[in-house]
Amino acid sequence: MTVASTAADAGLPDYVARQPSGFYRSVNPGTKLAVAALEVVAAFLLPGWVGPLLVLAVVLATAAAARRLRGLGTIALTTSPIVGSILLVNLFLLPGASDPIARLGPLAPTWSGLWFGLQTVARLMAFSLAIGLVYLTTAVDDLLADLARRGLGRRAIFVVGAAVQMVPATIERAGEIVDAQRSRGMDTEGRIWRRARGVLPLAAPVVFGALAEVEERTMALEARAFSAPGRQTLLRVPADRPVHRAIRWAAILALVVIVVLRATGRLG
Amino acid sequence: MAIELSAVRYRYAGASAAALVSIELRLEPGRVVGVAGADESGKSTLCLVVAGLAPGVIGGRLEGSVRIDGVETTATRPHELAQHCGLLFQNAATQLSNTTATVFEEVAFGPCNLGLPVAEVVGRVWWALRTVGIELLAPRDPTRLSGGQGQLVALASVLALRPRYLVLDEPTSELDPAGTLLVAAALARIARETGAGILLVEHKTDVLAQIADEVVVLERGAVALSGPAATVLADPRLVELGVEPPAGVRLERAVRASGLEWSAALAEAIE
Amino acid sequence: MDFLMRWVRRQFTTRVIVLMPVAIAINIVLGAAVQQWLKLPIYLDSIGTILVGVLAGPLAGALTGILSNLIWGYLLPSPVGSTTIGPFAVTAGVIGLLAGLWGQFGLFRPRRSRVASVLGAVVAVVMVGALALYTYVRAYASPDQFSVNTSYAAASIDQSRAFFLAVMVVYVVLVAWALFLRRDVGAVYAIGAGLVTGIVAAIVSAPIAAVVYGGVTGGGTDAVVAAFRTGGDSLYSATLKQGLLSDPMDKMITSYVVFFIVGSLSRRFVSRFPNGDRAIADAPNDAHEASPETAAES
Repeated sequence: MTVASTAADAGLPDYVARQPSGFYRSVNPGTKLAVAALEVVAAFLLPGWVGPLLVLAVVLATAAAARRLRGLGTIALTTSPIVGSILLVNLFLLPGASDPIARLGPLAPTWSGLWFGLQTVARLMAFSLAIGLVYLTTAVDDLLADLARRGLGRRAIFVVGAAVQMVPATIERAGEIVDAQRSRGMDTEGRIWRRARGVLPLAAPVVFGALAEVEERTMALEARAFSAPGRQTLLRVPADRPVHRAIRWAAILALVVIVVLRATGRLG
Repeated sequence: MAIELSAVRYRYAGASAAALVSIELRLEPGRVVGVAGADESGKSTLCLVVAGLAPGVIGGRLEGSVRIDGVETTATRPHELAQHCGLLFQNAATQLSNTTATVFEEVAFGPCNLGLPVAEVVGRVWWALRTVGIELLAPRDPTRLSGGQGQLVALASVLALRPRYLVLDEPTSELDPAGTLLVAAALARIARETGAGILLVEHKTDVLAQIADEVVVLERGAVALSGPAATVLADPRLVELGVEPPAGVRLERAVRASGLEWSAALAEAIE
Repeated sequence: MDFLMRWVRRQFTTRVIVLMPVAIAINIVLGAAVQQWLKLPIYLDSIGTILVGVLAGPLAGALTGILSNLIWGYLLPSPVGSTTIGPFAVTAGVIGLLAGLWGQFGLFRPRRSRVASVLGAVVAVVMVGALALYTYVRAYASPDQFSVNTSYAAASIDQSRAFFLAVMVVYVVLVAWALFLRRDVGAVYAIGAGLVTGIVAAIVSAPIAAVVYGGVTGGGTDAVVAAFRTGGDSLYSATLKQGLLSDPMDKMITSYVVFFIVGSLSRRFVSRFPNGDRAIADAPNDAHEASPETAAES
């Protein structure tokens, strides 16, 4: 497999050989994924509060150093509906709970409900933010390039890369279709039965419009030797320094250890 | 050394009638062959057959022989065909790979698919960009280009595979006059500098008048007229075949029809 | 082994590789659109997955579903990105897998209303109805280890009958609507396939929702889960019951939309996909004809 080891020698312009910079951003994407996997597993498998709180601490510290706290805040905000639901449901409805905080008529919030709810929320936040951190510090291009270097085929890379690029254009098209259908009488504000009738007039044109290009895109890809055998050339790969490799392996090892300990009951 | 079609008949999968009937065609390196005809006369089908995508990628039934440099297209795999004969379509946007961030990487998409060494990929990309004349576009985002620029990028992307032949299916049909000029000039330069054989389907006969050596006119899947560009484009039967003659020809006819003199100097002035 | 490799490769032609990102984008955009613009309590985020499954096969369908969820959850910025959809990639994979099977069996093929077809449709309805009844009775009536109420068993059997009836009514209404609208008996099979897919999806999703999210989704359906839990259900059980209400509806509607779309596409287009010939109305022989020498398309 051919990789640009010294980009300058190969004559690659800077904007192609671009390497991400910044504290956590310059870390190899594969390493970041491994660390996130470890964090998720730790949040769910380490007993009680230890897992989620430890993971949250690490994630928040890393985000602060990488100056991505604000982004994490936004992600946390988008989980607020579900957080609210979890707290409410568990506060009032934890089965078998018998230590009420107060009695509000028929409803009795319980301490164990609150405790369990908060723990579930902590786990969920640890999970979301661990993955969110990877998202905030890694460009899709870099992630795909790293996976390609590790052997992911060009087909998978094309599917993921093209899907990410196509979503904004498809959203625009869907918006135009909704506007057009609204002017033809599609009801998006009325009763549920009327709104339901809008499913097909919205879905069908969006799908047809998207499918119309499939044939030509297929031929264009074949015309660019897409189905050639063998590995494709990679013009740029994110750096994978020894320290990144070490962290990656350590993370995978720790992950395996946690899973084994939990499976054999040592972690409770 | 040529693309040769003999006794070619092609029917799409699931269709009852043949789209191409008894086609004879020869495309040599360094020559530009223009193809004109009414809608549904088989022009796009001809492009797919010449480039080998029909029946290879889209199925269908092919009779007769389509040879690129002596080898049947039906015996050649799509990625090999791409290195012999490049193919360009009308819509610049659907020809993007949608996986690259810069025009440079977009043009490198083809050579990278072939697994060529990085140095060679870089060399081919710069060569293709230079030949088409778009080196300055190299750092740009390929999804944010004008129609004409997009087609030039698509042209460079196909050129980067170093095909000996190029087939273009109405490359300027979705472009404004400025974009059309850009593409036509680039094609002329490619024919001159690379010695590629070009098959150009166009209904803008002015473009054909400008750069084609020969012109073929299709009608209902068969060749109705063929010969040197100037002769065919001045043929009185063009209109009934659904092809609008180039501006020069129309002007000459109008001038003569109103009884005025038509001189060679006037023809030069329009060129 | 060789046969398996060929079966795998056959499903991932370049055309399928081009279709998949388009389908993924469709999934994500329609899933977001139905929430934001139409504000309906269905997901509608599986149209692309089922379409790929029907046209290309189970593996391609499964991958489309899995990648849709992962991309939607982890690679797209909000407001489009969804923070909770990621772990349900397993469910999406199963939906795509099933769609591939249904497509293979020709369940998404338009059919003329001949006597044999109608009889076949009646048999299909009965079979699907029996399966649904069994599932609902099991899910709603099985004794629950965390159950505290003694009158629970009786109440749940009534519950299960009621919800099964509701789902079957929706099934019949959808089928009748499709039949009168399109006069196509094939709709019965497609919508029935959707019903079965929905049931399986609910069963697969329940443990994920229970473990990762404590059974809630942040939406209105959480009230339903809560209600079941007050009745004494375990977390998993309550989540399953909620799922068995929403998933079959959603998948029946989605399957009908896909059936409609596939029936409206040109034969030329559909026939070029690996399983396309099983989704075309007439005898498949004429559709995908290639000359014997086209070894290049292997």
